[in-house]
Amino acid sequence: MAKTYIAGVGMTKVGRHYEKGFKELSLEAIDKALKHAGIGINEIDYLLVSSAFPELTLHQSDIATILAQELGIKVRALRVDAGEASGAAAVALGNDLIRLGRVRTVLVAGVEKMSEYPSAQANAAYSSILDYEYEGVRNVSLVNYAAMTLKNYMERYGVSREEVFKWAIKMHENALTNPYAYLSFKVSLKRMMDSQIMSDPITTYDAFPICDGAAALVMVEESVASTLDGKPVELLDYEAINSEPPYLRGELTELPATRKAFKKLSKRTGIVVDEETAIQVHDSFSIYGLLALEALGLAGKGKALEALDNMPYLNHGGGLKARGHPVGATPLYGLAELTLLMQNSYPGLNYSRDISLLHTMSGHDNSSWLIVLRR
Amino acid sequence: MLKNSISIFWRKRSNYYRIKLTKCRKCGRISYPARERCPYCGSNDVEHIDSSGHGKILNYTVSYYRREGDAENMPRIVALVRLDEGVVIPAEIVDSSPEEIKEGMEVEAVLRRLNSDDPYGLIYYGLKFTPVLNK
Ligand SMILES: [Zn+2]
Repeated sequence: MAKTYIAGVGMTKVGRHYEKGFKELSLEAIDKALKHAGIGINEIDYLLVSSAFPELTLHQSDIATILAQELGIKVRALRVDAGEASGAAAVALGNDLIRLGRVRTVLVAGVEKMSEYPSAQANAAYSSILDYEYEGVRNVSLVNYAAMTLKNYMERYGVSREEVFKWAIKMHENALTNPYAYLSFKVSLKRMMDSQIMSDPITTYDAFPICDGAAALVMVEESVASTLDGKPVELLDYEAINSEPPYLRGELTELPATRKAFKKLSKRTGIVVDEETAIQVHDSFSIYGLLALEALGLAGKGKALEALDNMPYLNHGGGLKARGHPVGATPLYGLAELTLLMQNSYPGLNYSRDISLLHTMSGHDNSSWLIVLRR
Repeated sequence: MLKNSISIFWRKRSNYYRIKLTKCRKCGRISYPARERCPYCGSNDVEHIDSSGHGKILNYTVSYYRREGDAENMPRIVALVRLDEGVVIPAEIVDSSPEEIKEGMEVEAVLRRLNSDDPYGLIYYGLKFTPVLNK
């Protein structure tokens, strides 16, 4: 079976882009990715667009066709939606198409515009990742689950409110060297302790910021990769699984889908990850970043905060917390940051391991996706 | 953003005006709400039962998170309630200030306004929970 490679990546700076719409942001990321890959737009066989809320925030359905029209190309174009994991799902689909021999080059573009409306509307769109009929209508949002989870975690493991901000401090520090990060500035613990409560005990410094962004990947089959001048990174494998809604699980402080997916993936590929492996975890809320490390076996239960000090390549771009979380694009930012790291072209970091891992999920581990890269 | 829909809501009225549960004849587990399949094992050999609407607060959070349509009654108390039937349901706690709420507190279902489009728009009503002491 053919192997899949990431030949090029492109990112736009995450932020609130009042001057740019989804088309402008997407085109910018796509142009960068094509240039990085050394491939022309007319060599693309398939356009996959990951976006979570275009109908709600942009009045736009069939965003993939619209984007293909804007690019002036005639290709197979498809929009992929898997909530917050949309970008990973699009990459996984592109990988499958290439391995099946259906296509040789796939352009994956992820885009989200969350800043077009006041935050109450962005929050309503974001809350639509949960079950509208059973959770949404009852005014339950993801931040509420995250808050109850953090509460359990702090009580059970004797972790203080102050200690949890260690995650955000590390993410803000990591973002300092990422030219595409939204919140690339240091924040004092004092300011975090005084920050506004969103859902007790979660404050704005435990949560991702509302933002826009677009990122793109050029994925190619092995025979194409071998003709390129750059240093394509192999997409070794992926795994994904879903779980019951959080209220049916009995335990909030575990991510069962992440744990199961990782078990399957590591069994199949034989990969071993440790604290010095480059890993991107889904920290929409800090508590989820901590729980992901525990579900991936990188820390014992309740021990993730202690493990942070020894993880130089954890969310090196600043994670969802500080780089930002333009939802449909987020996993593509993570993969782009990992690809650059593995090509030794990420500013200020040298990485020597053969593999790296992306973790992303939608909601409270409602679905979790893992992608392994290898060089 | 799309506004509230009469048919979306009306179709599920038994889940909003009463608390219906799914009891699986295959794996034996009970879950909220009434579904056609067991969310644990996928079996369609299920029956729907009524909950007493009585339970205890398992976990809760005081929420200042604003969404379009539910901007009133801030802050909200969002909780997981363990019903007497052993099933956990996500729900709002009303008629109490945050300081009065405790885990383990007995609560029961009451009919309240869930949200509305705008002051002149469609209003959704459904069950929330109130501490039993308030009765
Ligand atoms: Zn069952």
